[in-house]
Amino acid sequence: MPDQPAPPKPPPPQAPAPQPGAAPALVNLVIDGRPVQAKPGTNLIEAANLVGIDIPFYCYHRRLSIAANCRMCLVEVSNAPKLVPACQTPVSEGLKVTTNSPKVMDSHRSVEELLLYNHPVDCAICDQAGECKLQDYYMQYDHRPYRPAQAKLLRHKRKEIGPLVVLDQERCILCTRCVRFMREVAQAPQLGVFGRGNREYIDIFPGQPLDNKYAGNTIDICPVGALLSRDNRFKARAFFLSETPSICAGCARGCNTFLDHYDGVAYRYRPRENDAVNQAWMCDDGRLTYHRLVDDRQTRALAGRVGSGQPRPVDEVVAAAAEKLRPLAGQTGLAVLVSPQLSVEDLLAVALLAREGLSATTIYEGGFADGDQDDLLLRADKNPNRLGLRWVAAAFGLELRPFDAFLEAVDEGQVKALFAAGTEVPKEPSFVAGVLGTLELIVTQAQSFGPLVGVSDFCLPAAPHSECDGSFVNFQGRVQRFQRAYPPREEAQPHWRLAEGFLKSLGFAHRWPTARDLFRELSPRVPDLASFDWDELGPGGRPAPGLAARPAAADARPPGYRERVVTPPWQVKAARTDRPAAQDGGDGAPRAAEPPRDPPPGVGR
Amino acid sequence: MSDAPKPPPKAPAPVAYKAPELRPETLPERAFVPELLRGLAVSTSHFLRNLLFSRDPSPDVLHRRGPNLVSTVQYPEEVAPYPPGYRGMHRLVPRPDGNPRCVACYMCATICPAQCIYIEAGEYPQDPIEKFPRRFEIDELRCIVCGLCVEACPKDAIRMDTGTHCKPTYDRPTIVYGIDRLLKGPAVSHRTDVWFKREGSDPPADGHGHPIPPLPGEGKS
Repeated sequence: MPDQPAPPKPPPPQAPAPQPGAAPALVNLVIDGRPVQAKPGTNLIEAANLVGIDIPFYCYHRRLSIAANCRMCLVEVSNAPKLVPACQTPVSEGLKVTTNSPKVMDSHRSVEELLLYNHPVDCAICDQAGECKLQDYYMQYDHRPYRPAQAKLLRHKRKEIGPLVVLDQERCILCTRCVRFMREVAQAPQLGVFGRGNREYIDIFPGQPLDNKYAGNTIDICPVGALLSRDNRFKARAFFLSETPSICAGCARGCNTFLDHYDGVAYRYRPRENDAVNQAWMCDDGRLTYHRLVDDRQTRALAGRVGSGQPRPVDEVVAAAAEKLRPLAGQTGLAVLVSPQLSVEDLLAVALLAREGLSATTIYEGGFADGDQDDLLLRADKNPNRLGLRWVAAAFGLELRPFDAFLEAVDEGQVKALFAAGTEVPKEPSFVAGVLGTLELIVTQAQSFGPLVGVSDFCLPAAPHSECDGSFVNFQGRVQRFQRAYPPREEAQPHWRLAEGFLKSLGFAHRWPTARDLFRELSPRVPDLASFDWDELGPGGRPAPGLAARPAAADARPPGYRERVVTPPWQVKAARTDRPAAQDGGDGAPRAAEPPRDPPPGVGR
Repeated sequence: MSDAPKPPPKAPAPVAYKAPELRPETLPERAFVPELLRGLAVSTSHFLRNLLFSRDPSPDVLHRRGPNLVSTVQYPEEVAPYPPGYRGMHRLVPRPDGNPRCVACYMCATICPAQCIYIEAGEYPQDPIEKFPRRFEIDELRCIVCGLCVEACPKDAIRMDTGTHCKPTYDRPTIVYGIDRLLKGPAVSHRTDVWFKREGSDPPADGHGHPIPPLPGEGKS
């Protein structure tokens, strides 16, 4: 392979044993005059983070090997005559570190100037502008005009190196984060460094596109705009996007994500750190599932079959459908189909509706069909909440039967009517729609258009998880909260709100102002959920009172739209309280005091 | 300062206007008729000058010549010139090849206090600049003509140098200007423009672009 980064150098000789008075297993050092205690092996960047000192860096990444090639993190230390890279230097006893001396600041300026030497400053057409470290550090540390007189080197400006990634070699600063990621985490070394010196560049190998399932993570870890997504290329400027902590609904892993959105439209997923679930990565399949939140949305209540459905008010359609369902309640001819794409709150309400409102004893399991699975993140089950569905069904005394059993029952003529919460089915939807065409009554709650919507007598618009608060239970049994990013589109409502309407029409007095109230009322019935406090689950807890859900600022950015530059509140909370591991769904608060953890099984270094 | 002798107390601060001093009326004024005739003479001379002599049609009324004293500007036949630096109608500046210089960076839409600019970005298949505005619309009814878009533009792609103002219309949709109506005026090039360095996204063989040609009228350098 052409340019392997050098193997990590051995750490410098360790300082002598700690003083008798010092805390055991902790190293005392001084950074910018502030005393710091850190575990042995912690590098200086993490140690400085403990006391709130930011050391700039490009190539360092907590979860990758250390290359120390960007030279941005050089700091002055008391035991070396020259500046040392903070990412590669472990703490040692009695070390005095200076991160803001004139020598260090001059080094920052020089490194920044070197990195910008051949950089085409084309921020105007760069999708990274706004979240670019070169921009940030230029404004913070350099802020000088370009001095060289000769022309810059020109390289490939737009090379589509894979299905999801486009490479701009001119913008690259050769930090090799992407190369290390593909080699160490994805274990598919499809990227390499070619050339020498000034003419070095990142590229793929001839005839081998960057088609790994985890290649999209290189877009996230690229500190500049060299690797960008082809999916949302030129769709939205990064500085417009607001981020909301969310969960990927692509598979049963439930990767913790940020959903980036602007003016009620989702633009992308980015992975959010959670050591217990997805570390800091997510797969490309999941990354693209945000399209389900945007494309082909069914946002009106329809009444009437085979495409003739006319939009009518939601309340009216719910009441009409409930009147049709009322005489069927308790009969074996009424089948209830529930999708594991629904959140726990949706499932609680739908299970209550099935059990008490419709007097059902069995429900059928919908959801997407199984797919690929691998050792890193991807799970075969392509639904985010199948375990939650099993928990809820068991707690409500509902027998959960597979989708094939439903098709058999339809074939045998046992099913006369269908109530479906979620129209995701594991078979070909048009085939299922053809089979269901013989039923007398079909009531669906659908978030997107499809063949099943076409055959519905009553179709209600459901909101996906980007548009309501709720939680998913991943395959490990972790209950993970997601937050509402923006209000439901048009007339869409969460499944639980629609189920509440059905219950009301059927004569039950359940009233849940929010998903939180629903969870607090119904979750004690589910033994597996009983120990969870909704407010303590995952990111954010309750949204701050008075926060405008729909941004009203001039450019649609709510206050605090650049949350990623400050410590999010749930990380502050996670650092403060020590909760059981199984309960802190969704937070990825890195314990900065610890050195990088051992790689998970299947992840080589 | 402190040991300097104190100035004598000043007169009360002058008011912003000066009251006319009353003077005793003269004999002709008291007689009334001569002064009446004098005023009539002034009016009559103005009437005759404007009646008998032709009007200078120059819209710059302060510089009209001739005995005619009429200062009316017969708009729209005569249009008073706007002063230099007047912020007129926007235009999207074309490149030499006729495409807009705009690269859809959204800076103007970001800074616009009236939120009157709407942009949708597209991607050129083969061009040194990959991004272009697929849609660029300015709602001239919402525009407050502040000129911040011109200042924010990093590519000199939007200017307000047309020297005209927005034409009135009878309905609202026609006053939302798209690229077809905004892209006009002389093309503009700068030495730093990317199309002088390369032809597409691929790298030149030697890694450097071709030498930048002098701009028209730049002399022999």
